[in-house]
Amino acid sequence: MDTSKERFAYLGREFLTWLWFEAEHNGGKVEGGELGPIGVTFGQRLTLETGGNVREGSTVQADAPAEAEEARTALRVGKKVARARLFLDVGERQYQVSLDAETLTFANAKLPVLLGKGESHAIDERLALLDELEAVIDQLFVGFVNLRKSEASWAPVREAMRQWVVKGAAG
Amino acid sequence: MGLSSGTVSYLRFVAAPVTEGFEERACEQLASKAFREIDPGSEEEQVEGWVRFDDAFAADFDPSTLVTPSGNVLFRLRTDTLKVPAGTLKAYVDQAANLRCKAQGREKLAKKELDVLKLEMKKQLRLRSLPKLSLTDVVWNIQTGEVRMISTSKSVAGRFVDLFEKTFEISLRPVGLLTVLWLRGMSEEDIDGLALVEAERFHLIRE
Repeated sequence: MDTSKERFAYLGREFLTWLWFEAEHNGGKVEGGELGPIGVTFGQRLTLETGGNVREGSTVQADAPAEAEEARTALRVGKKVARARLFLDVGERQYQVSLDAETLTFANAKLPVLLGKGESHAIDERLALLDELEAVIDQLFVGFVNLRKSEASWAPVREAMRQWVVKGAAG
Repeated sequence: MGLSSGTVSYLRFVAAPVTEGFEERACEQLASKAFREIDPGSEEEQVEGWVRFDDAFAADFDPSTLVTPSGNVLFRLRTDTLKVPAGTLKAYVDQAANLRCKAQGREKLAKKELDVLKLEMKKQLRLRSLPKLSLTDVVWNIQTGEVRMISTSKSVAGRFVDLFEKTFEISLRPVGLLTVLWLRGMSEEDIDGLALVEAERFHLIRE
């Protein structure tokens, strides 16, 4: 298995860009496989970058950065999402997490309010919530890669994303 | 922020599977690399080792407190750093050098004398200083093999992996994009197939 981080870094950037497209295309919901539909909103801070050795980046800070013209412009000049603050609704639970596209590293993950009592139960509960958050992100990524690895499933998505990038709205 | 409260930032790793009797063995292994206090009289600037998750000053591990009801192994990496800031050291050395010159009616000290004075001052200041204490939470799910280090610092990660592998004699692999696919059940064949996939250019429409 080729585990070269650089070689597959583009997959992570394409994943977060696809997530943006998919959420916009489906009224804020993205299919999460066994987990059902996941509410996905991009919030607070969105960084888009070109790939390759010489990186050019744009960071948009706003309540809804995915709606900012600056973010749209960055897409149109070939940048993809490198880092994003995601608000994820899973059933009645809401998570927030900053995600790095190239590593899927979780930063500043905000978990739903705890229900348990006592320290060991509280830790177990927070760990269970982290497990769920990881499962959500991982399943969304697996779903994307399953689409991406086959030309037959990817071709219509690619065309729709190109229209979205160039014309600026999901169909 | 740690695991117990607030927001959580972490790096993911995968450890090789553990064998029967792991809990008892892990306690002994953690104790063998337990944290020990830094000796201010020595030249050591940094020491690190494992401490209990519930007590940063305790390194006596017991299977009943090491493993949570859900089967997660919890402990902490404690790193103490005792460094005299260069600016502080210089100010104290200058003061001591001036006092000595005045007492001996000299204009300045020789370089060798200054070097000795610097070492003496450093020792004295270390004895008067408290080490900077840093704790990094570690969660190891022994069912899935996933290890979470509650920090995203690359330097902490390097030291953590090194000590973890020495302690448990188990290799630790960082989780990246392809590892996520493997962990979530994608076949090696499908993952290898990604080598043929090239990056997209969404901003270019083919006519």
